[in-house]
Amino acid sequence: MRRKFSALALALLLAACATEQGRVSTTTVQPPVTTTPDAGAILPGAGIVGAPGITRPSPALPNYPKSIQDSGATPGVLALYRQAQEARAAGHADQAEAALERALHLDPRNPFVWQALADAHLALNQADQAEAAAQKSTSLAHGNPYVEAGNWRLIAAARQARGDSDGALQAQARADDIARALAKTP
Amino acid sequence: MARSRKTSRDPDLRRWLLTGTLVALGLALLAFAVYLLRLDAEVQREFAAVRWVLPAQVYAAPLEIYPGAPLSIGDLRRELDRLGYREASELLGPGTYVAARNDLRIDTRRFAFWDGVQEENRIEVRGDAQGIGTIRVLGSTQTLDLVRFDPLLIGSIYPSHGGEDRVLVRLNEVPPLLPQTVILVEDRNFYRHIGVSLRGILRAALANLRAGHTVQGASTITQQLVRNFFLTPAQTLHRKLREALMAILLERHVGKDEILEAYLNEVALGQDGPRAIHGFGLASHFYFNKPLNELQPHEIATLVAIVKGPSYYNPRRYPQRVLERRNLILKMMADAGLLRADQYQREVAEPLGVSRGGSGGAVRYPAFVDLVRRQLAGLYPEEALTSEGLRIFTTLDPRVQSDLENRIQTDLPEIEKAHRMAPGTLEAAGVVTSVEGGEVLAVVGGRDVGYAGFNRAIDTRRPIGSLAKPFLYLSALEQPQQYTLDTPLDDQPVALKLPNGRVWEPKNYDRQLHGQMPLYQALAHSYNLPTVRLGLNVGVDRVRDTFARAGFDDVPAVPSIFLGAIDMSPLDVAQIYSTLAAGGFRTPLLAIRAVLTQEGKPLSRYPFKIERTLPEGPVYLTTWAMEQVIAQGTARWASSVLPPGQVYAGKTGTTEDFRDSWFAGFGADRVAAIWVGRDDNKPTGLEGATGALRIWARLMRDLHARGLDPTPPADVEDALIDPASGLLADAGCADAQALPFLRGSAPQQYAPCANAAQSSSPLNWFEKLFKK
Repeated sequence: MRRKFSALALALLLAACATEQGRVSTTTVQPPVTTTPDAGAILPGAGIVGAPGITRPSPALPNYPKSIQDSGATPGVLALYRQAQEARAAGHADQAEAALERALHLDPRNPFVWQALADAHLALNQADQAEAAAQKSTSLAHGNPYVEAGNWRLIAAARQARGDSDGALQAQARADDIARALAKTP
Repeated sequence: MARSRKTSRDPDLRRWLLTGTLVALGLALLAFAVYLLRLDAEVQREFAAVRWVLPAQVYAAPLEIYPGAPLSIGDLRRELDRLGYREASELLGPGTYVAARNDLRIDTRRFAFWDGVQEENRIEVRGDAQGIGTIRVLGSTQTLDLVRFDPLLIGSIYPSHGGEDRVLVRLNEVPPLLPQTVILVEDRNFYRHIGVSLRGILRAALANLRAGHTVQGASTITQQLVRNFFLTPAQTLHRKLREALMAILLERHVGKDEILEAYLNEVALGQDGPRAIHGFGLASHFYFNKPLNELQPHEIATLVAIVKGPSYYNPRRYPQRVLERRNLILKMMADAGLLRADQYQREVAEPLGVSRGGSGGAVRYPAFVDLVRRQLAGLYPEEALTSEGLRIFTTLDPRVQSDLENRIQTDLPEIEKAHRMAPGTLEAAGVVTSVEGGEVLAVVGGRDVGYAGFNRAIDTRRPIGSLAKPFLYLSALEQPQQYTLDTPLDDQPVALKLPNGRVWEPKNYDRQLHGQMPLYQALAHSYNLPTVRLGLNVGVDRVRDTFARAGFDDVPAVPSIFLGAIDMSPLDVAQIYSTLAAGGFRTPLLAIRAVLTQEGKPLSRYPFKIERTLPEGPVYLTTWAMEQVIAQGTARWASSVLPPGQVYAGKTGTTEDFRDSWFAGFGADRVAAIWVGRDDNKPTGLEGATGALRIWARLMRDLHARGLDPTPPADVEDALIDPASGLLADAGCADAQALPFLRGSAPQQYAPCANAAQSSSPLNWFEKLFKK
């Protein structure tokens, strides 16, 4: 029963999330339906929400990729991503950075690659670049909560590294909210 | 007595004479010894201090292939040809390939990149017209996910006043046939003589006598090296003597192999404008577009033929003359046993095979290399760039570059013809960049794409006209409480008193007035009057700030900037349009990815640097309006060329009296900025749409540029709008149109046609009745 409830909650949440991401381009002919602002408040992209918008009826649970393996990346990008992960694990963040840039050369709009690049920047003490790359990842993620939670964590760490504790706390709170919502998945 | 006196005197004289002669001889010997010692010191000092002048080598971005890569087998083959890979019936070592219809077997070259070494690989690539299918290692079942080819050498940074250029080679790395042939032709006794060769002189004299003209030189390789190293080319007896002595001295200090290696790197083998081609390493690229170790025997013979006189034996200018000498050398090689008889027959039947002029050198992509040189100038001292053999890895994409070159060369004559201009009237320049990384992929600085002269892509600064408008509209859309794409703007005359007392009265290009229109229509149709009115409300400072955040901060503080009275180069335009294309992330455009030392040690890398400087939502709205430029506005013509179903954004620009024709725009992965005009800045009669747009649209098609991603960002929502009233529409409205709005900025009120309005307000049907 509880499982069912949490699944339902997540469905609603992600549906609202999809609305947040404006996946409405072809469906605006529908009569307006108002979303509850609360549902959107903790979701990625919240905070820039104005008045309740027009949405389509709740779609099916969005099938967001959880990892780069599910994101439709080509074998070449996956190979470079793996190579970067290995370099990063071995403490060679600069090599990871180089491999990820090669990956972006092949697939410039993959949010997972941008996220990994943000992580490499962070390891190289480039906090500004890390935050910018995480933002870029979010802007290409089209509301993917898995990606966005990770990006908020990276932004929190970047801000911490810059000495912006308040900003870091805010970012961490965003990450935690999304993670909590996701944790309720069955 | 007298006789005895005489005899007694004679020995005196003789003694004196003898002594005098001995002393003079001794003195002369001493002087000669001193001279020799000084010469010896000079030889030692100079040879020890020989530091090859090694201009930085500039490489294009490497080609990478992977399963699923959108590169047809035919395209891959063309890329291999560009890289100087040789087609053969079987793999004959690195740099060769075997072609079948849907299948290429390739022996790839080893190459040391900034982030690691790509080893030589014998692979089989299967694919079709759509793209790459699989990549397999030959002779095994192993498949590969990614293969990076060696990058194209596109030029070198030699001193701007001209100078030596070379690619250094080691004796143990060159094909043995090369030094063998050099010795055979230039100095048969090389390993036996002491620096000069009497036998060599005799043999040369005999051979020349027999041939009736000079076929062999008498100078040894050592003498030739000494001549190149230490001496001026003046032909005097003293110089000849000095050369011989220095050659003998050099041989006392330096081994034969070292002398030979120095010779292979030093010998002059051609001239390319102000650039002198030195050494076989560069000559191999310069004449055959491939590394030395891939040369065939007949190609080696050709290079050795050129040694005799690089201008007299210039294979591009005098192919027949060079062919004859090459064949003579091949014959010598066969006679000396360097070639088997059957090899000789095969090689002598080969054509000269020298690549088109300018390959393997700085003239290949002069405008791009010029940009690289300028970006490097701020980072390294000139001395380091022109002499230390740095290896520069750039962002140039040879395929994009060649598409851009083709377009400008094909379309300019067509535009001239269509507008009845004399051929050669127009000039053009263009820049293509990648959307997310800010990488400069291609630069063309004029219609003569191989000419290393005035670089219009960087140095032509012209008013950008209506290319400025998106940044003004973006400034407005950043204030959603005041402006949306739906905000009505008036197309009414406007007069503005300038500080200098003059009155500025801009006009629409069509000299017409079009009444009231929604904001996005004013941009799509590039109307000047509503734009100036909007600009006056938004304010000059705000617009200048938007330009600065997009990446250009040299904007004057005058209202005429609303209509583009801002001088910019095509590169500057590409910069600010890149920021829009990347959704508001600014990336300083970069042509350099990494710099390595001569030994291959990373010196510096230039990673992606991005920064969000323009807000995502308003950039999305501006881009949407720029899509309408192509869908229904001034650039409608492009729809007939661009792939159907794909969406692109852009803007036309035309300046006063039709002096400059601009177009800049982008899809999901490519930004391109094109300028067409005249060097003397006279009117061309071209608008942005009839000039630059023609090149841009076909270029985007040729590049297979991806269409824009229609997904709006989180803070944007669509609303259905009734165009007649500009209010909310629903199923009740016939001509409703979906417009994007920043969340919360869409109209709240329903249009008269809307069902919702009719049900909510009883007065509506009444109004509607009367309206009709």
